[in-house]
Amino acid sequence: MIIFESIIDGVRDIRDHFGRTMLQLVGIILGAASIVATFSLSTAGKAASMEFYRVSGGIQKMWVWNKPTGKVTLNAKALASKGLTYSDALAIRRYAREIDLVAPMASQSTVVRFGHVENTREVSGVTPEYAPLTDFHAGTGRFLTDSDVASAARVVVLGSERAQEFFGTDNPIGKTLTIGDTGYSVVGVMEEKYFSFDQKRNVLRWMNRQIYIPVTTLITRRGETLEHGKIDRMQTRMKSVKRSDEAVDEVSRILMREHGVKDYDVMSRVANLRRNEQNNKMYDMTFMVCGIISLLVGGIVVMNIQLASFNERVREVGTRKAVGASPAQIFFQFLSESVLVSVFGGLLGLFVGRLFTQAITSLINQPTVITMGTLVNAMIFAAGTGLLFGMYPAIRASRLDPIVALRTE
Amino acid sequence: MSAIFKFEAEPETPQPVAVPERALISLEQITKVYDSGENEVQALRGINTGITAGEFVSIIGPSGSGKSTLMHILGCLDSPSAGRYWLDGEDVATLTSRELARIRNRKIGFVFQTFNLLPRATILKNVELPLLYAGLGREERQERAMKALERVGLNTRYKHRPNELSGGQRQRVAIARALVNNPSLILADEPTGNLDTKTGSDIIRIFEELSGAGQTIILVTHDPAIAARTQRRIRIVDGLIDASES
Repeated sequence: MIIFESIIDGVRDIRDHFGRTMLQLVGIILGAASIVATFSLSTAGKAASMEFYRVSGGIQKMWVWNKPTGKVTLNAKALASKGLTYSDALAIRRYAREIDLVAPMASQSTVVRFGHVENTREVSGVTPEYAPLTDFHAGTGRFLTDSDVASAARVVVLGSERAQEFFGTDNPIGKTLTIGDTGYSVVGVMEEKYFSFDQKRNVLRWMNRQIYIPVTTLITRRGETLEHGKIDRMQTRMKSVKRSDEAVDEVSRILMREHGVKDYDVMSRVANLRRNEQNNKMYDMTFMVCGIISLLVGGIVVMNIQLASFNERVREVGTRKAVGASPAQIFFQFLSESVLVSVFGGLLGLFVGRLFTQAITSLINQPTVITMGTLVNAMIFAAGTGLLFGMYPAIRASRLDPIVALRTE
Repeated sequence: MSAIFKFEAEPETPQPVAVPERALISLEQITKVYDSGENEVQALRGINTGITAGEFVSIIGPSGSGKSTLMHILGCLDSPSAGRYWLDGEDVATLTSRELARIRNRKIGFVFQTFNLLPRATILKNVELPLLYAGLGREERQERAMKALERVGLNTRYKHRPNELSGGQRQRVAIARALVNNPSLILADEPTGNLDTKTGSDIIRIFEELSGAGQTIILVTHDPAIAARTQRRIRIVDGLIDASES
């Protein structure tokens, strides 16, 4: 009942001194607004990263790269090692228990020709596992199959831009594309891959410019045996994200057994993600600290105004006490005024925060997402500020001696 | 001796209280000492008196006599340093500030020299105030506040704010506020001090009417003409009751 009456009084107060209240609320508004902006930026950033990871093969993805050793003293096995080979991929596929997909990859720049169109292009030798590992599938026709790989078939699958480059609007499937000096039958064209963080640049456009042939075909055409056939890298997929460290260790161990020297590098997306999260946390913290400092400053202003308003109203407090207001009732009356003012500031802060995020989106092309949770968080912080800083004026008012209060002019 | 022991052996028996029958207020050896650093100030040095329900009493005395201190204690705004204060059968001398607030809310109605109305609230809201703190619902508050305003002849002005009323009207609002919780006691502290003689006289007439209806009223004043209109005068001199007049 008292709280309700106090809220009505508080609303009247805000209405009567609108300008003063606005000034008093600047800190709270900015604090709440920057919290909204921070959360909406980082929520959108996280959502965009997760989406990017999803469209590019999921967070279970791992890479194995060639990495030349800097060591001079090498044993015989190490000297014999010539980097990642196709048989390494077979070894991982056979022995690794934490891994369910292995996709070796070798690339080579070659002259590619169809009719009058002739260009030097990069051609990649891959296996069927490449498709699920990159979440990249044939749009028309088919992707490479296990039998293509087993028979080192002369088949080719084109990225959408390459299909257009060599065949224009014609259907390339069934036609023969010359790669190097050999004809390859086009069996498929990949779907178009698109992902953008800023709605402008397609960060996965390079995938549309790929030309895929079976890795075995590429190796044997190069004149190497499959056993020693060099590959540039492998993409693999761990079975469980929870066991990502074990998966990385296991792949490392198998390669160490094969090579005898660490001339490779194993990376997991989970490790990347952890590193990014650290960075994001720093970034979030910086903004949060700014927001909290604004709220603190706002809170101190609210406290000052409440103290001033209390000094103006000493007689009123005395009168209320004389007619029977208990200390607790006076305390709640003052506290509810502070909280009300702060909540009001918080609400305005939500709108200002919305403007902030719109400005961010239009100025630097960063996507922003305002979730309900963000708004609730900002309101809780704003109301909490009012509660915290309203405490002292409320305690002073509640402890006021009515005799002294009534004597005050 | 044996009689005393026998008496103490029965703690369930209510203690006999040395107050006259139908006494609303009984003060026993009330003292108030203000400790202002090195020198103690004895504002009240042992007040003994009783006030019967329905009485219209004035407390008079020169300034510095302890009159105001006595008023504060009677109004439960302050507690005595020693002594007992029985109000309506309850010893209120040793209550906490929260309990005193409850007593003020339920049993006492104040009328001040400076009216002390809330400037931003309407007349009706001002009169409702004690009922608000008593925890009454909105409808009952308004109904009782309107009745109280009717008794002081201001029921048509309930929507106005205090600054739209004359001094006499404001004091009548204050009286309505004092009446609204049906108090055992109305305590008026120089209620005519800020009013001209004619208006002040009208205000005293309202008190006389209330007294006629059985309301107990204590009026603190330094104006002998006003004190003369009350049924009994208690003169305070030097922290004690001057027995020469009563």
